[in-house]
Amino acid sequence: MENRIKPLEDACKNYEEDLVLYHYAETDASERAAIEQHLAQCLRCRNFVEDLGRVLPQMSLKPELPQAFWDNYFRETVAKLDDQAARQNWWQRWLAPMNSWLVPTFGTVAIAVFAIALMIQKGDFNATSETASGQIPAEVLVDSNQLEFFKSMEILESLSTLEEQDSAKPERKTSYIENGPVQVVA
Amino acid sequence: MESSKDLGDEELVTLCQQGQGHYFDVLVRRYMEKAFHIAYDFTRNKETAKDLSQDAFLRAYANIKRFDGRSSFYTWFYRIVVNLCLDHARRSGRVFWESLDKAPEEPGGQRQLVDTQHQPDQEAIAGEASRRANATLESMPNKQRTAFLLRNQEGLPIADIAKVMKTTEGTVRVYLHRAVATLRQSLVEFV
Repeated sequence: MENRIKPLEDACKNYEEDLVLYHYAETDASERAAIEQHLAQCLRCRNFVEDLGRVLPQMSLKPELPQAFWDNYFRETVAKLDDQAARQNWWQRWLAPMNSWLVPTFGTVAIAVFAIALMIQKGDFNATSETASGQIPAEVLVDSNQLEFFKSMEILESLSTLEEQDSAKPERKTSYIENGPVQVVA
Repeated sequence: MESSKDLGDEELVTLCQQGQGHYFDVLVRRYMEKAFHIAYDFTRNKETAKDLSQDAFLRAYANIKRFDGRSSFYTWFYRIVVNLCLDHARRSGRVFWESLDKAPEEPGGQRQLVDTQHQPDQEAIAGEASRRANATLESMPNKQRTAFLLRNQEGLPIADIAKVMKTTEGTVRVYLHRAVATLRQSLVEFV
C-alpha cells in the first residue's frame, strides 16, 4: 500500500459532505448520479473518496471475542435482571398494602410539616425581634448615652437645687442628746 | 407454535409490558453484541463496555413500561446505551488516553489504519495512525463522535441515528461530515 507522506488535497468544498454520504451509501439515486458525474472529472474528489474507502472501514474493526464470552455475558445479564426484578418485587410487595392509605398519610404528614415549619418560622420572628432590640444602632446608642448624661445632669441640678434649698431652709438637725434621736424642725 | 426467538421486538416488548419479563431475555440475546460494541467504541475497554452495556439492559427493562412504541425498540435501546457511555465519559473525564499507548487488549482491539502486510517498516506508522485516530475520536464533540461511531462502526442508517440522537437527519449528516473531515485531517500524513 502506498503511504503518501505529502499533505493530501481536500475535496471540492461543495462536494465534500456529499462525498462522505456517498461513501456511506446515504445518497439517493439522483444525488449519486450527480456525484459520480463530478467524480469522473475531478481527481481531487476521487482521491478523497478513495481515502475514505481505505481508512474508515479499518476504524470499524471489532474485537473478536470467543463464544464463551457471549455465553457468560448473557448469563450475567439475565442474573442481574433477575436480581433487579426481585428487588422491585420486594418493594412492590412492601408498598402494596400501603397503596390505599399512602396518599392520605403523605398528605397529613405534609400538612403537619408545613404547620411545624410555620411555627418555627414564627419563633424565628420573635427571636429576630429580640436580636434586633439587642443590637442597637450606634446613633441610638449615642442618643441613649446623651439621655443618661442629661438624666445625671438633672440629678446634679436637682442636688444643687436641694443644696440651695437646704442652705435657705433651717438646718435639719438630728439631736442625739439625752432623749435619743429627735428630729428638730425649725 | 411460534418460538419466542421468532417474535419481533415490538411483540416481545408488549409481552414484557404485560408482565412476562422473561421475554426480555430474547431481546438481550438479540442485542447484546450490538450494545457491547457500541459501548466498546466509546470506551475502548472490554470490562467497562461489558458493564455499561449490561447496565443499559437493566435500565431498559426497568423502564420497559415507558416505551411507547413511537420509535423502534432498538433505537430506543441504543439511545440508552449511548447516553450511558457519554455519561460515563463525563464522569471519568474521558481519561482514555492511557489506553491509547497500551497494547490492544485482544486481536483487532485497536484499529490498524495502515496496511502493514507488505511493508514491515509501516508498523510504527500504523501504530501512530491508530493512536492519532483514537485521540481524535476522544477529543471530538460528543455529538460528532456519536454520529460517527453509530454510522461507521455500527452501520446504523442516518435516519436511525437521528432517532437515537433525537435530532434531524440533516443535523446528523453535518455531524458525520465534520467528524470524518476532522479524522481525515488528523490522519492526513498516513492516508
